[in-house]
Amino acid sequence: MSSLDNLMNLHGAAAAFEFSDTGELTNHRISDDSNLTPDALDLLAHVFIANIAIATMQARGWEKTTGQGGFYPVQGFTLVGLEWSAVGNGQRGVVLRNDACDFEAAYAALDS
Amino acid sequence: MSVYAELADIPGVIAAGEYAYRGDRYNYKGQLNDEMARMASIMCRATTMGTHMQTEILCANSENCPFDPAHGWMVRGPRFSVCVVANVFCFLQNEAGLLNRVMKKMQDKLADVEKMI
Repeated sequence: MSSLDNLMNLHGAAAAFEFSDTGELTNHRISDDSNLTPDALDLLAHVFIANIAIATMQARGWEKTTGQGGFYPVQGFTLVGLEWSAVGNGQRGVVLRNDACDFEAAYAALDS
Repeated sequence: MSVYAELADIPGVIAAGEYAYRGDRYNYKGQLNDEMARMASIMCRATTMGTHMQTEILCANSENCPFDPAHGWMVRGPRFSVCVVANVFCFLQNEAGLLNRVMKKMQDKLADVEKMI
């Protein structure tokens, strides 16, 4: 079973996808009952890449300024909507329904 | 008790706070000093504004976009995570069960964003 199929097995998963280090969509799965499209996942991948880059800069600066380590390097970014969330880590992401969302399981699956 | 104060009392939470969407006003509780809380508030507010802009672009050309409106975001580091829902932020340790507990509380307590602004 591929890594994307494993992500689709997460409870409430609507889509799972892979992307390049610049955010272009390279592979994806979308559940039959989802309105998501490959174009939307491509933009989501760009959102992940952009926000992880910014957060990494902020974490670097925070640690140097405050001496409080543990945020750098940033390993994942999650966008939370009212009903759905998108969890991204490295070059993969998964879209999950909030009422069933296990963020820790999602990060663990993305790490594996 | 405010939401951020409730979050700060959860074991494993480093600090929590709330910030104004406009201006530099903020409140916080936990293991931060005033300058750290000010920096955290500015960074969280800027990222929140960014995610709102990105979500509008993401949803501009699709019907029933599942992320509109953006309600929050989180970043995860090797030992700590930052969670933001509406105008409340929470810094927490990466302990088993804590991230889900904090996010459940934030999403439940801050579901009605209009009341928070």
